[in-house]
Amino acid sequence: MLLVVGPFLATVIRSLLYWDGDGAALSLQNFAALFSDPRFYQAVGNTALCGVGATIISCILGFSLAWVVSRTDMPGRRSFEILNLVPFFLSPYVGAISWIYLAAPNSGILQTFLAGTLGTSIQLPLIYSIGGVTWVLSLFYTPYVYLFVIAPMRQMDGALEDAARVHGASFWYTLRHITIPLLLPALLSSALVVFVTSAGLFDVPLAMAAPKGIRTMPTEIFSLVQYPSDLGRAASFGVVVMSVTVLLTLLQRRFLDRRRFETVTGKGYRPRPIVLRPLGRAAALGLEIVYIGSGVVLPVVALLMVSFSSIWTGQLRPATMTLRNYEYVAFGYRLTQQAILNSLYLALVGATLGVGLAVLQAYYLNRGNRKGRTIVDLILSLPLGIPGIILGLGFLILAIRTPLYSTLSIILIAYIARFFPFATRTVAAMLLAINPELEQSARASGASWLQTMRYVLVPLLLPAIIAAWLMLFVIFIRELGATILLYAQGTETISVVLVILSEHGSTYVAALAIIQLVMLLGAFLLFRATRASLVQA
Amino acid sequence: MKGTFAPAFLSIFTALGIAVDAAAQELPALQGAAPEEKARVLQLVEDAKKEGGLTYWDVVIQPETNDKLSAQFREYYGLPASFKVNYQLSSTANLVTRVEQEIGADRVTIDVAAIGSPTWVFGRVNKGDVLAYASPQYRHYASTFERGMGKDGFFAFNGAYLFVPMWDSERTTFNGKSWKDVFGAVPAGRMSIGDATKSVTYLDTYAGLRKVLDLEYFKKLAESKPPFLLRSEQIAGRLVSGEDLMAFTGMPTRAYQYNQKGAKLKFMLPEEGVVLLPQSMFILKKAPHPNAAKLWIDFMLSERGQEALVRGEALISGRAGFKSPLPEYAPSMDSLKIIKIDWESVSTAELQKMREEWTRVFNP
Repeated sequence: MLLVVGPFLATVIRSLLYWDGDGAALSLQNFAALFSDPRFYQAVGNTALCGVGATIISCILGFSLAWVVSRTDMPGRRSFEILNLVPFFLSPYVGAISWIYLAAPNSGILQTFLAGTLGTSIQLPLIYSIGGVTWVLSLFYTPYVYLFVIAPMRQMDGALEDAARVHGASFWYTLRHITIPLLLPALLSSALVVFVTSAGLFDVPLAMAAPKGIRTMPTEIFSLVQYPSDLGRAASFGVVVMSVTVLLTLLQRRFLDRRRFETVTGKGYRPRPIVLRPLGRAAALGLEIVYIGSGVVLPVVALLMVSFSSIWTGQLRPATMTLRNYEYVAFGYRLTQQAILNSLYLALVGATLGVGLAVLQAYYLNRGNRKGRTIVDLILSLPLGIPGIILGLGFLILAIRTPLYSTLSIILIAYIARFFPFATRTVAAMLLAINPELEQSARASGASWLQTMRYVLVPLLLPAIIAAWLMLFVIFIRELGATILLYAQGTETISVVLVILSEHGSTYVAALAIIQLVMLLGAFLLFRATRASLVQA
Repeated sequence: MKGTFAPAFLSIFTALGIAVDAAAQELPALQGAAPEEKARVLQLVEDAKKEGGLTYWDVVIQPETNDKLSAQFREYYGLPASFKVNYQLSSTANLVTRVEQEIGADRVTIDVAAIGSPTWVFGRVNKGDVLAYASPQYRHYASTFERGMGKDGFFAFNGAYLFVPMWDSERTTFNGKSWKDVFGAVPAGRMSIGDATKSVTYLDTYAGLRKVLDLEYFKKLAESKPPFLLRSEQIAGRLVSGEDLMAFTGMPTRAYQYNQKGAKLKFMLPEEGVVLLPQSMFILKKAPHPNAAKLWIDFMLSERGQEALVRGEALISGRAGFKSPLPEYAPSMDSLKIIKIDWESVSTAELQKMREEWTRVFNP
């Protein structure tokens, strides 16, 4: 609670302090200035459009992809199960850069291909737009929904759907009235996470919306903290955002509290794959190909093309091809090795601690005292809504006079405080699907609380725990918003180095992004091998 | 006893004298220096060795240039290879934020910072956050102090840069000589501009240009619907890829770096004048390695340091009598028509007002 309340209070207090000639005074002046500025409303409107758009598309895509790989007999589903997660390993910022390389109106690879090679005059939709931002956010946030949904979807008792189908319900009716409602906790949790995170993301709108003068909330906050800065107004912006998050969390809880979502019961069952008709099979494959093509193949091809060029001229020219970018980034640039080690440390330790906390919190939220849990949930959800840069600022204010300043520990604390609610939501969604009767039976049979946790609950939660750990691991490797204010010399992470390199050359950024991707994929494959043995055990 | 000690002491002192003299002869930093200066530098070198390293932050110097500068710095003062030069390339905004945080928290880890925002540095000097240090090199920078681009006894600039119209000559033919010639040079939407809401250096440039170009000029410029960009590297990169055909605020340093790799970027120095952004370099008052920091300042402002810096970054030197090795990209200050700005008297409130004006005109 302290981790969360500290930076939150720091932000609130800063929003209420107004500096004039005589010094600081408590005032609502920052809020008044914010609300009287028409740019505030434009920024909020554009952010809401991007956030809602990305959330809807991500939910539809994430749900559909999870469903086709976990519940159908689509060919190649085991491979797609892994491939669907690959966009998660590319940070949205890298995704935005690669999509700019692909679809920039005057120099994009796809545009050049369409006009130069195919000789067509087809113009791709403008990438520097709200639509472009929404597209990239949707592609790279779909795996969030996918990760949230796939575990409860796998655990869901197929008999529930079978019963509906036996009674004459159509496929769509069953989906609408049985499958989706049962997965609603996971879907709503992921929707909240996607909305808040995508709306608070700074780099993607900076790369794709700012060039066309489209204001968004994170870019406005970024402008406000630049010298000559207006930190009071930036903090008040943060407080408004946090209030919206609290409201959304309240609504989500209220909605879920009215319903029951147990899909895992004490009865034995075996989820059976649904046999698709040829048309359905083609549609499922088509969906996968479009998603993997847009979220993995095309961005990676673009990054490879740029990373093998000494300068990027809009196309790969033999005269400018080089390996120098990789050589420089991997061996010539001193920061890279240190940053890789730092990121791995933060991701491994942070994900493990974060998941541990998340399991305890999720348990309390679902099985604990009903009166207290709403308020605890609200408080612990706060970091979700605080833009990384504001949260970083809050932690900085708290830590700067302590020995934690300039250490990896403060970054670790900020990561866990900001992101463990994500893990909580993954685990809680699964927990909500587990009927408490299972634990009650264990307890009635003489098992202690610890034994019940160890032999009943944790094994059932294992898929969600593993998914949450993986999610935190990847998020920590990619995190930038909070790190950018908290890092110091010797505590740089890979994302910080990406930003530093972007001042240096886009071809270096592409090379490091590819190295980061390979590293994350390697970690993921290792993780899968470990996971198989874990689940078996 | 006396008879035995005297020759021994004599031989020790002689040996020490020879050693000091030999060291003085070996160190490039001491060549031609007066005895008092030699003694001062040697003392600083000894103290710097004890400190073991220094940390400097900069917003322009690239890693390759830093490697060369660091190696030359060690050689210049005879510092061991174990002496660490910790360097951080940062954005202007991040550097400002970081320095202010460290000063505010009384936890200073940065020794030297260099940033193209003299107004801000003057502000820090006035608040007493900058270490007073009368570098012997400052006498070569007297004219820049007179122009208000530094403060004697506190800071000078290691190099200056500017933002001017730039284009890729393989895609665009442009022979303009004035800021006004950019109108109609390329189709609407194909000339980028630096985003002054997010960068103080573009804001400073706008504030300076407003002295020679009226508001109507910028309103007309806004009608050409320029893309708003943040990073100078991105601005140059978009010219090379053909995404933009011209940049209103291109950086000659980037043209130099891209052209080294085969690009054909060109830029003009408009007849109305240019805004020179001096990379003001200063030592923080509570720097953890003040002696090494003083040596760094001396080295960077020396003829040798300037030569390495200009060759690497195509920055404009402020050192009197310095002959630029890259006159095409980094001409001498005297050859430039510089728009006069009284950096010391510009207040934060004025900058905020200017940012508001820019925002109203361009509506980004």
